Amino acid sequence: MKLFIRYLNLMVVTIFILIVLSFFLPFLFPGDLLTNISGIVAQSADQRTALEQVYKLDQSIFHQFIFYIESLLNSNWGVSTNDQSNLYQEVSLAFPATLELVGYALLVSIIIGIPIGFISGLKNHNPFDFSVVTFSMVGYSFPVFWLALIFITIFCLQLEWLPISGRIDLLFDVPVETGFILLDIARSDIPNKPDAYLDALHHLILPTASVAIVTTALFIRFTRRSIMDVMDKGYIIAAKSRGFTQRQIFFKHGLKNALLPILPILALQISTLITNVMIIETIFSWPGIGRWLIQAIYQQDYPAIRIGMLIVSLFVMAMTITIEFITRAMNPARERAESAAV
Amino acid sequence: MALLDIKNLTLYIDIGGDTVKALDKVNLQLDEGEIRALVGESGSGKSLAVRCIIGAIPEYWSIKADRITYQGQDLLNMSYEQRRQIMRREIAVVFQEPTSSLDPSVTIGEQLEESIPPELIKRGWFWQQNKQRKRIAISLIHRVGIKDHDQYLKAYPHEIPIDVSQKIMIAMALASEPKILIADDSTRGMESTTKTQILRLLEKLNKTKKLAILFVSHDLLAITSVAHSMTVLYCGQTVESGKVKSLLKRPLHPYTKALLDSAPSFQLSLPTKSPLIALGGTIPTLQHLPAGCRLGPRCPNARKECVIVPPPRSIQDHTYSCHFPLHVPEKIAKRAPKLSRGLGADD
Repeated sequence: MKLFIRYLNLMVVTIFILIVLSFFLPFLFPGDLLTNISGIVAQSADQRTALEQVYKLDQSIFHQFIFYIESLLNSNWGVSTNDQSNLYQEVSLAFPATLELVGYALLVSIIIGIPIGFISGLKNHNPFDFSVVTFSMVGYSFPVFWLALIFITIFCLQLEWLPISGRIDLLFDVPVETGFILLDIARSDIPNKPDAYLDALHHLILPTASVAIVTTALFIRFTRRSIMDVMDKGYIIAAKSRGFTQRQIFFKHGLKNALLPILPILALQISTLITNVMIIETIFSWPGIGRWLIQAIYQQDYPAIRIGMLIVSLFVMAMTITIEFITRAMNPARERAESAAV
Repeated sequence: MALLDIKNLTLYIDIGGDTVKALDKVNLQLDEGEIRALVGESGSGKSLAVRCIIGAIPEYWSIKADRITYQGQDLLNMSYEQRRQIMRREIAVVFQEPTSSLDPSVTIGEQLEESIPPELIKRGWFWQQNKQRKRIAISLIHRVGIKDHDQYLKAYPHEIPIDVSQKIMIAMALASEPKILIADDSTRGMESTTKTQILRLLEKLNKTKKLAILFVSHDLLAITSVAHSMTVLYCGQTVESGKVKSLLKRPLHPYTKALLDSAPSFQLSLPTKSPLIALGGTIPTLQHLPAGCRLGPRCPNARKECVIVPPPRSIQDHTYSCHFPLHVPEKIAKRAPKLSRGLGADD
């Protein structure tokens, strides 16, 4: 419980700092401050004064900050400079698409990476282990954007197995509700649902694969190293000397101790994963937050950049702290270190 | 018959493409109901010998031995499963660092209950079995002299003091009701009251349960107070073995004598302010092992014959491996091997 409050506190403070930073961003952007904040180019002096009053630019910076927090909480995130579209709606459309991609890539990496890492770490220095190490090294070394382009060349252009871009064929008119394509299909009432699922999955394969290969390779390497270290530990030798079965030793003593040190490392990989997903979104025209943000940067859409960066950094931070918290809560030995350090 | 019988155990360790004999023809016997001490300085291969007995050896080690038997069963050539069964029920080990030998992520109670073999649990529903397990665990912990079972059974290994975890290690070893207990340097680095407690505990177990104990240590005082017989190791070679009394009274090997002399408590006649007796030099590293008797470069009695490994010789049940034992200076000429013939026969 004490631990939970500690982490909650950490989270709140970090969120506050992020909000402060994002509040000061428009002051640093080039151009008119009012346009940077509101997204509207004032056409007349009257409109300008009206806008200044709305955004409290005529009052102290403290009032402006309070207003900023209020509007963030009221999901009144302003409008885009380019097309005056509501940023809150745009983000709530784009963000689930990114989450979807991140989630599937993470799932694939965990399901494939961790068991393979365990297998090759437990029976190390045999042909299987060597090939796993080699392939994970190769997989880890691929630049994501290059891998995606190669995939497109092979599977889309040469073999014509998979679609190049988008989340679903335009033929399927799926109304957007949650933003997660598979959920949306389930909730919609279009006539040919199985085909729609199949099509959406087809669209998912390549982006997920290109992100997941790098992450999987990383997970394999971490897991393998960790289980190798753990299996050399004194308590494993002691367990062997007590004549426990291999299965008993691995599941009772090896698994948990091997996973505990790698969980925080995996949590750190989430930011890398999101960066990769943003690149992949651009390549595959996946309508996610990464592509949206890069578009905004191209068009110097400052209100959009501000909100986009805030949302992405909030997400990364929340994920990292949550996983850290879970690891801490699971690991009994960490408590002592914690009370010793500050 | 010896409970545990090891003859000419040689352990090869691969150190970066080079193979060294970390143990060279070690002989060890443990009789039923006896406490045998395995003595030697740090780095003499005591713990390696223990790991060979329990079979927890990495891939880059290889073992050659004339025999390693437990009650006449060959431990080296039996199947993995058979060996596991023997380790499960018959032989128990207490390792030298109790804190690293306990799983840090599982409570003491769970680990203790895990080491109770299923055969000792009466049949019943699983909650009845769990209850039995808990009862056995508590009685085990009482047996090793810990009264406060509630506090320790729920604790994690890092939350308990070292001496308690050492006792818990002993309790876990006793859980399977073994015939042999191997205590690998169990009293290292402990303060003397705790050490005495653990020694008394081992002695009591030996007397009441007829438990044979292999007591691995370099603590001569502890050994002489509990052990019946001892085997002295130097640098992976068995130097001398026999009853503790006869070894103390009359060491035959120069190393044993030096070892006993180095502990001032055995020398009542030591005058004040006289220098302590110690062999010159240090124990050689694995990369630079001398040929023949490994004590050679440090031995006060060494001659050129010592580059050949001396075969073990016995006087009754007192065995030693030395060309020039301390009791027979006049027979040196007769017994020493001819250099020209013997050189190179044993590499």
